[in-house]
Amino acid sequence: MSDVLARRKQIRLADLRGANNEGVLALVLLVLVIGMALISPSFFTVGTLFSILRGAIVPMVFALGVLIVIISGGIDVSFAAIAIFAGYTAVKVSEAGGFDPGLIGVFAIACGIGALLGLVNGAVIARFRLSTLIVTLGTQGIFRGILVAYIGSRYIADLPGSMSAISTANVITIRAGDNDAFLHVLVVPVIALCVLVAWVLKRTMFGRGIYAIGGDPEAARRAGFAVTRIQVALYVLAGVLAAFAGVLHVILGRNANPQALVGTELDIIAAVVLGGASIFGGRGSVLGTVLGVLLVQLINNSLILVGIPTAWQRAAVGVLLIVGVGIQALSAKRQSKKVFVTEETGA
Amino acid sequence: MALDQKNAGPTLGRLNAQLDQGLGSFLATIRREKGITRMLILLLLSFAIFALLKPAIFLNPLNLENIAIASPEIGILAVAMMLAMVTGGIDLSIVAIANFAAITITTVYSGIAAGNPAQAAAMMPLILVLGLATAVLAGLFNGFLIGVVGITPILATLGTMQILNGIAVVWTNGQTLYGAPEALTSFATTTVAGIPALFLFFLLIAAAIAVLMNRTPLGLKLQLQGANPLAAKYSGIGSRRVLMGTYLVSGLLGGLAGIVFLARNPTASADYGSSYVLLVIVIAVLGGTNPSGGFATVAGVVMATLTLQIVSSGFNAIRLSSYEYSIAQGLILIAVMVFDQIHFRRRKARKDLPDTNPVLP
Repeated sequence: MSDVLARRKQIRLADLRGANNEGVLALVLLVLVIGMALISPSFFTVGTLFSILRGAIVPMVFALGVLIVIISGGIDVSFAAIAIFAGYTAVKVSEAGGFDPGLIGVFAIACGIGALLGLVNGAVIARFRLSTLIVTLGTQGIFRGILVAYIGSRYIADLPGSMSAISTANVITIRAGDNDAFLHVLVVPVIALCVLVAWVLKRTMFGRGIYAIGGDPEAARRAGFAVTRIQVALYVLAGVLAAFAGVLHVILGRNANPQALVGTELDIIAAVVLGGASIFGGRGSVLGTVLGVLLVQLINNSLILVGIPTAWQRAAVGVLLIVGVGIQALSAKRQSKKVFVTEETGA
Repeated sequence: MALDQKNAGPTLGRLNAQLDQGLGSFLATIRREKGITRMLILLLLSFAIFALLKPAIFLNPLNLENIAIASPEIGILAVAMMLAMVTGGIDLSIVAIANFAAITITTVYSGIAAGNPAQAAAMMPLILVLGLATAVLAGLFNGFLIGVVGITPILATLGTMQILNGIAVVWTNGQTLYGAPEALTSFATTTVAGIPALFLFFLLIAAAIAVLMNRTPLGLKLQLQGANPLAAKYSGIGSRRVLMGTYLVSGLLGGLAGIVFLARNPTASADYGSSYVLLVIVIAVLGGTNPSGGFATVAGVVMATLTLQIVSSGFNAIRLSSYEYSIAQGLILIAVMVFDQIHFRRRKARKDLPDTNPVLP
């Protein structure tokens, strides 16, 4: 998928670098892929592509939730806590009830919980207009605390049958001797979610409202958007997406561990920001986010292939973040200077 | 009045007037700095609650000493976070900086001590300075990214946190390092007049930062910068230098916290205190720091540190888990912010103040 996207963007790069630098990002991805292929020919296989895609499943859904929050001008660090809260509780409920609610049932339970927790975030943020970083830092502690203190601290290895069945299902299997390539079936709902979120952001009033709030809440209010309602709704949506990702994480990992997903928040935020979303709100796209997530996954994957220990991943993502955001910041600075100069000469 | 003065002598009269004036300005200070009164009430209240619930465990001198020994590392980090918040920023990298300094010191010290223990002991001050220097460098890097390049503080310090933490993981192989300088460990166990030396060290640092904030040009500038960056810019305050200075100092404080880490538990590791980032933000906000910048008091932060430490040890005394403590932290944080916001709105409605409390990311 990355190749197709990259190539299509490459052609248009001459006249268009994309509204949120998607073109530049695609170019970086392309250069990286080519570079990796030259350094280590074994990298350039369908198997690698599929494993990168598999690795991107959970981060991608997280990133969609973070994207809508960042577009609205906020930042959310509680989504990983929501995800594991919802995913673990759904498994725990079906285990305690002694029944298998089926895949749809598990997702429904989890998403319901996610919506509820997202509502808590949204209600506090929208009602009292507090700093989103600090509110979600607070709720992160609350959600994680409640999960471990009152719901369960035990690692569950026996998932309901429907969940464990899908954890080994592949949508595409290519057998080529010892280079078997498997594309996990859960890639399909993730692609569908990407399309859905892109559609909501581009084509619905709710989506345009999120951009408007991110640009300027007061202006959005005067333009007739119900700012408070949209804000609450978008945190609910972010909660649902996080819960969905939580179930995906449980399925792919084949266990439910209440201590999982701690500390992954910042990697996701880094990927979304790399994907061109502005931390000040009002800017960002699903396409850019997809590219950002793939870039981070590619870096994580390729470090091993080039012989750099995986321990460097954290540092590499940090450098990537600073370079990516630094370039954005510097170009924004240059832009504002340019405007200033033309204004002066004009006057 | 004049008669009184004649009777009691001029000296006493002047003293009286002075006292009167002093008390008045003291009261005015309290009224102005609502964070301090509120914190004082919260501090006494939390102490009283746990003292009443479990007097035998909570009022045990050993427990009180533990509170005093555990507070400094968190308190120093909270003061650093407060500094960044006063300028309207945030420093997520502060714990990573502290760990990095601690790892540097441990590695260098145990490396020298392996060959020649006496020489290592003699070079201790130099090694500590080296650790602080790495912390200051990291702080300067933050300042460069934020002030010169123009990256948002959240993202810049997020990046430095990842980088420092990543390097620390590689450096230590993800393991805990032993062999911190013995002198530091013995410093942690000394007491002066019954008060742990570490705690006095914390108060000393807090006092120094209070002087920096309230009595120096940099302190004034960084408060103005946080209150209104645009106005500060047009007033000729070089935000670049102010931000560099701020993050340099917060980096230095991170390094000092790293030394306290080593003194308290003589090991260093990349993931020590990973939950401190949240805790330290909670403390800074609880202590009356405005997360949108412009306002903070060191005294408020010191009292908030003690309050949370009391809650933590009180939870221990009444046998609640650390997860319940994390719930309490989150609830306290949100409750205080909501309370402030309602208070602000009421004040705004009464005085018809302009809406200057922007929603920050």
